[in-house]
Amino acid sequence: MSSKVNLSWIASQFEDKNDLIQKKLELDHKQITVLFIKSLIDQELYQKYIINPFFELPTQEQFNLYLFALPQFQEVPSKEKALYFVMEGNVLIEIQDNLYSLDFKLSKNSDVNSTSVETTIHGSELALSDNLMTNINVIRSSYHQPSLMIEYFEKGEVNKPKMALIYDDKKVKRKALESIREKLEKIDMQVITEAPQFNTLLNDQRYSLFPKMLLTERPDRIVYNLAGGKVILLVDGSPQSMIAPVVFFDFMTTMEDNYHTLAISYYLKLLRYIGIFVCILLPGIYIGAVSFSPEVFRTELMLTIAGSRMGVPFTSFVEVLFMLFFMELLLEASIRLPKAISATAATVGGLILGTAVTEAALASNIMVIIVSAVAISTFVIPVNEMAFAIRIVRLILIVIASIFGLAGLTLGFLCFIMYLVNLTSFGEPYLRFYNYRKGNQDSEGQA
Amino acid sequence: MSRFYYYLVMINMIANIISAVPTILLRYRNDGAVLSLIVGIILGLVIVIVYTKFFNAFPGKTFPELLVQTTSKWFYYPLLFFMAVMWFIAGISTLITYSFLLIRYLTPDIPIMLIGLTLILSIIFGCFMKTDRVLYTIEIVFVINFPIIIFIIIKAYTSKNLNWDFIREAMLHVVQAPNIHAVSSSIFLFLGVVNLVIFNRFFTQKQNFGLKQIIVLVFIAIATTFTTYFIPIGFHGSETVGELIYPWIATSDSMRMRYFVIERLVYVFLLLYLSMAFLSILIHWHVAVELFKYIFKLEKMKFKGINIGYIILIVFFTVSSLYIIVSLTEYQLFQYSKYFFNIAVVNFFAMIFLFIYIIRRMKGANKKANES
Repeated sequence: MSSKVNLSWIASQFEDKNDLIQKKLELDHKQITVLFIKSLIDQELYQKYIINPFFELPTQEQFNLYLFALPQFQEVPSKEKALYFVMEGNVLIEIQDNLYSLDFKLSKNSDVNSTSVETTIHGSELALSDNLMTNINVIRSSYHQPSLMIEYFEKGEVNKPKMALIYDDKKVKRKALESIREKLEKIDMQVITEAPQFNTLLNDQRYSLFPKMLLTERPDRIVYNLAGGKVILLVDGSPQSMIAPVVFFDFMTTMEDNYHTLAISYYLKLLRYIGIFVCILLPGIYIGAVSFSPEVFRTELMLTIAGSRMGVPFTSFVEVLFMLFFMELLLEASIRLPKAISATAATVGGLILGTAVTEAALASNIMVIIVSAVAISTFVIPVNEMAFAIRIVRLILIVIASIFGLAGLTLGFLCFIMYLVNLTSFGEPYLRFYNYRKGNQDSEGQA
Repeated sequence: MSRFYYYLVMINMIANIISAVPTILLRYRNDGAVLSLIVGIILGLVIVIVYTKFFNAFPGKTFPELLVQTTSKWFYYPLLFFMAVMWFIAGISTLITYSFLLIRYLTPDIPIMLIGLTLILSIIFGCFMKTDRVLYTIEIVFVINFPIIIFIIIKAYTSKNLNWDFIREAMLHVVQAPNIHAVSSSIFLFLGVVNLVIFNRFFTQKQNFGLKQIIVLVFIAIATTFTTYFIPIGFHGSETVGELIYPWIATSDSMRMRYFVIERLVYVFLLLYLSMAFLSILIHWHVAVELFKYIFKLEKMKFKGINIGYIILIVFFTVSSLYIIVSLTEYQLFQYSKYFFNIAVVNFFAMIFLFIYIIRRMKGANKKANES
């Protein structure tokens, strides 16, 4: 099969030919045919590297050699691959019955974004870009190891975005890598647009609450996790990457922990863990203390609470759910709204509603304090996905506490821990204490 | 030794503070309880050391696997069944004690049936987890609660109400001959090590068990036993302490945190011991579930992809423990606990002879394997 046939086959695949350009150039004894999609290639590069040399170099052999020396040069193994190359933004060149491809892709989305989700005070403000190649460039240029492996593949039947699986070959956890590859094989989706989709696509369990992969936009977090033997998934066109396998504690660290002095970073970590306890347990404790066992807390405190609840017509359970419901609505609304309006929403919701509710005696003052404390402590959790999961856990614990009181709350919390421990993220136990002692030999196995 | 081993031993010691052990010990305070404690510590340590050494010799192997290799069917099925029932009852005794505590102190307006059901349902599914996950759960809950345990112990020892004269007076009873019930209940504190029959599966590498580890164990043993027995006496006096049903609850209620949000320490203590009881039941029932699984081959009982064997076991555990919770009175609980402790202790001592037999047979089996 000659390359002429291939070229005409490719041209026939594009029925509407307005964007596809096929040109035959002839001069003296030199002759080439080029084929490309106009909107996908960088026309300046095309002009500079193909057209100019073609007219300047005296013989066909010299031109061939010149093309061969270009870094964008690639051989074309089959016509299907040739079609794929054209759609990726390559220029196909046919010379003396041989077909070559040159990568002149024009990408307007290759600028590196600034961090918007994981903002920090210290450390880089730059995040990933929307372009896969730029992202890999960013990662490669801050992780200098020959063992860094990048595997490309395509998934998604219709839009076929380019994806990359990145890991350090020497450090990666083999079991996790195998299981990720196995699950990637099984993906059956029409359209894949963003990396976060993998969180559901690579998850065997249909109903799962906690994220099994970590979403990040920070290159420093990616590098840190690569060195820890984890696998990174990138999708072209998505400024976020997924990290797997993850454990619970990955969701409780920010990259900033490494940039502070030891004491400060421990203090911040402690603050964060207290925050997560407060945000899970505080509403439950309020219900348990007010409705079930007021004798647990000191008398003065309970009297204050009872005084504050004076005139409130609901039980503590309804009161908590009522306020939490509006808080969740407020949170959800302020995400969707344009920035200019969301400030107003927060003011109206938080301040005016809070004051009005207590004045109308629909909820006690202390309830408002608790709800805002809970809302603030939810924001302390550094990774958003975990914060969402925790909000649902909190609701479940509120229901348990309103049926069984403080004892039920404790039991529910223990069950929550047990559930987390029982989870697995690509073969890694989700929650356990790791022993980081130097030279520590594992004296236990897994059973 | 791996830290997980110490958790197994310590959880049993700590959790038994709320069970019938201190009540039984204090009942015999004038009839040789002190000497019983000393005898109990020595014999208990013997059990701990023998069991640890034995299972350490066969890393990664559970007791049923060893039995299958060395003994015949008519022997090991009844023995395993007996052990499974024992461990099930050990879990139940903690469960019942805690249900009684809850209804008495924390949630008197909830029916006991519901309390029992909540406790059972929150634990029973955890018992079917893999062994390593059970241990990770234990570690995390233990680490969260450990500061509170230390706080309560420091609070108890530094309390003004702790009268050391009472303790010294109680110590004078050391001359009386030991009592069988007191001895066995103080040995029961050490029986956490028997959980290795299943949990040894987790310790796949040979552990380092020498003098250093034994000294740590001796220290833990003496500290826990002393605290369990003498602190209630120090607070209540050796005369009246025998009348208390839950000596440690009354003891913790004698302490006050004057400047804290929670004023009465008893509520901290109750919630803390809820987690300790949770762990204790989780360990015991995990062993029981694994043994039952082994005896009845429950993995294979499947119907349309649903494992019926597990469901039967869950229903059996739930219904039988609920029945016992509703029907038993506190007085009966202590009587039966006494006999249960006796049987358990005698049984686990007798098993030492079985261990010697197994070791000899395993040596023979290894030799045969080498020759062929």
